Amino acid sequence: MVFSSMTFLYYFLPVVLLAYFVAPRKVKNGVLLLASLFFYAWGEPKYIVLMSVTVLIGYFCALMIESRRGKISGKIALVVALICCLGILGVFKYFNFFVSGFNKVTGLSVGFLNVTLPIGISFYTFQLISYVVDVYRGTLNAEKNFLNLFTYVVMFPQLIAGPIVRYQDVVSDLETRKHSIPMVREGILRFVIGLGKKVLIANQLGELADTYLEVQDTSVLFAWVCAIASALQIYFDFSGYSDMAIGIGKILGFRFPENFNYPYISSSITEFWRRWHMTLGGWFRDYVYIPLGGSRVKSGRLVFNLLIVWMLTGLWHGASINFVLWGMFFGVLLIAEKLFLLPYIEKAKVFNHIYVLLAVIISFVIFDAANISQAGNMLADMFGIGGTPFITDESIYHIVSYGFTLFVAIIGATPLVKHLSVKAMSVAEKYKLDAVLEAVVLGLIFIIATAHLVDGSFNPFLYFRF
Amino acid sequence: MERHKSKTKGILTVIVMAVIFYGYAILCYVKPADDVSATERRPLAQMPQVTFESVYNGEFSDSFEEYAMDQAPFRNELRSAKVMYQSIVMRRLDNNDMYLSNGYISKIDYPFNEASVEYATGKFRYIYDNYLADEKTSIYMSIIPDKNYFNEKLFYPSYDYNELVVKMCEGMEYAEYIDIMSYLEMDDYYQTDTHFRQEKIVDVSEHLAKEMNATVDNAYDEILVTDDFKGVYYRQFGMPMKGENMYVLWNTTLEDMHVYDWENSKEISLYNMSALDGEDPYELYLHGTLSLITIENPKATTEKELVVFRDSFGSSIAPLLATGYKKITLVDIRYLPANMVGNFVDFESQDVLFLYSASLLNNSQTLK
Repeated sequence: MVFSSMTFLYYFLPVVLLAYFVAPRKVKNGVLLLASLFFYAWGEPKYIVLMSVTVLIGYFCALMIESRRGKISGKIALVVALICCLGILGVFKYFNFFVSGFNKVTGLSVGFLNVTLPIGISFYTFQLISYVVDVYRGTLNAEKNFLNLFTYVVMFPQLIAGPIVRYQDVVSDLETRKHSIPMVREGILRFVIGLGKKVLIANQLGELADTYLEVQDTSVLFAWVCAIASALQIYFDFSGYSDMAIGIGKILGFRFPENFNYPYISSSITEFWRRWHMTLGGWFRDYVYIPLGGSRVKSGRLVFNLLIVWMLTGLWHGASINFVLWGMFFGVLLIAEKLFLLPYIEKAKVFNHIYVLLAVIISFVIFDAANISQAGNMLADMFGIGGTPFITDESIYHIVSYGFTLFVAIIGATPLVKHLSVKAMSVAEKYKLDAVLEAVVLGLIFIIATAHLVDGSFNPFLYFRF
Repeated sequence: MERHKSKTKGILTVIVMAVIFYGYAILCYVKPADDVSATERRPLAQMPQVTFESVYNGEFSDSFEEYAMDQAPFRNELRSAKVMYQSIVMRRLDNNDMYLSNGYISKIDYPFNEASVEYATGKFRYIYDNYLADEKTSIYMSIIPDKNYFNEKLFYPSYDYNELVVKMCEGMEYAEYIDIMSYLEMDDYYQTDTHFRQEKIVDVSEHLAKEMNATVDNAYDEILVTDDFKGVYYRQFGMPMKGENMYVLWNTTLEDMHVYDWENSKEISLYNMSALDGEDPYELYLHGTLSLITIENPKATTEKELVVFRDSFGSSIAPLLATGYKKITLVDIRYLPANMVGNFVDFESQDVLFLYSASLLNNSQTLK
């Protein structure tokens, strides 16, 4: 079930919110757990057992780690938890990918597993790993109450698409959280903005990006426009979904970490990754990069550490060579920035933004393509290789038709909209109309987003692949 | 004070959103399911049955989402809101491939689908090989352009209609092509429908007949049957538009014609006025989608007969062509498979006209 669906918005969420707020405080977590299991089982009931087993393993291993701290059996419990979590992820997400590569290299024909990717497996696996490792490091006490841990892992707002919430982020909220009208209002505001980003911007940009594969007479300009549309679509899709998750969390009394902070205004790739999918970047920093030695090592080791982290980051996004290349592309740029480029970039005002945008747009061409060959074709079109004309009538039509949507998306990817909203609200406040303005704007966005959902079945959610 | 203000603002937002959210959700739960969508001419998804298998393999959840979208309360109004938002606010040139240009709604039909044209000519070839090749019949072919043809010089994507004509002529070398495109203009079509207006195509019928060595009437009375015709595009497009005048042509020759519906084995009228109250008022011409119709003209001064293989455009022009023949037979191979046509039609010395719209040829998968 995705948030931007009629089923979620008008059948699931109203019932769950009603049950949640009517339920006594002591059983609120139980309501949340049941709702989350239903949410997960809605599309994929068969994998609910797999998820439950993974949580059970994490629960018992963490208890053992804590009770045998400093002993070899505690370390064994950590290793068992990691092997189980990564093993399950490996089998369900990567086995067929590696077998395919192995078969190609060796000429053998090792059989594939007949399994589909369980929804959200990358997110909940990483959450569990962070929990077990934090207990091992002693920065977190092992949770004695299994239902609390289970609720944390399967909590529906963040279950299938993040943010990657760490146990320490929500442990206090799980035990005692307050509900208030200002927090519910903030949650509604965040959720509706996220819904609008996803349905009114990302889905429309997705239509434009898909047009690239359908046009008869493509052009250099159109390839660039579609590449930009695709990069913006991924941002609005994922950040919109994160906003919705954070918003529902707030309505329910939880404070989830932020996941995006206007990444397209970055002036270096290093900064971009501090602003893009922040919870994933933080996870790799704390659980892979720093354990490998971080940046306080010799240059050769630093290069190795970064390549490992970025290869894994690419692989996390999907079991495909595209994602590995995408990760390595960023890895190489980050290595160059760390070793020598960053001082020059910081001085190159304006150009540094152009450099970041170019790199990110090209990276998302690789990311979003069905395969390497498709990515290669699009890049060739973007650079006029192979005689692609600069402009064609057909491409002008699509560019003009989606021009304003693209303009809105570009502006919306900067803090300008937020600044303008704050100004508009302060003007409205003078006339005591701020509350009315907020309610009307949110109501309109909600209704128009619903109209878009009703109108079509075009509602893919990109990050489902992960 | 500040805290109190923040709380007030929060209360209003929460109340407004709760009213919209729960109000619409309650409507979703209580609204009885509709059977069909008049706007899309399709059955609407119904509440799926819960079975262990359908729940386990995820089919139930997919079907439920289809049901939730199809049965959404105020569905048509919300679709209109979406179209208006995209057209007026976001300046989109088309919505679901439909666009409004100079007051006419058109549907983008692009790119040129060569495989579809080959499929159509393959079906026509089957008819020629099995029923016509050994007969002394004159065979003609003509193509009715869709509204995109007249928007060619505008911004909207449209394919090269000359390429369509060339492909059709190549695939039907046994037929003589009659060009009627130059006899048609945008205002010969309805603003809210895909079809042309009967009162505007008298010259087209004359030209077709002349090229087939026949003479048809050119004097008719125009009878206004409604001033609120809203065609199929109106509902699909979603934007509010005024209804149009709809006329039927009438004269003493048409008055005496005998029309027989072989699909339902009964005599019918040339014009079915009750269709004006139905989902598709254009079906008033020859009762819409019937697979096999004959029109006999007792006032004919000729023994010539004509067989027309046609789509829905043929319904409004056929009565005009019938004034020049003793009998015309209308065959729609979307509903009567080509291999069964011989069971119902004797091809001897009739002229044969393949009269199809460009949009059907470019999307010919419905031909059987």
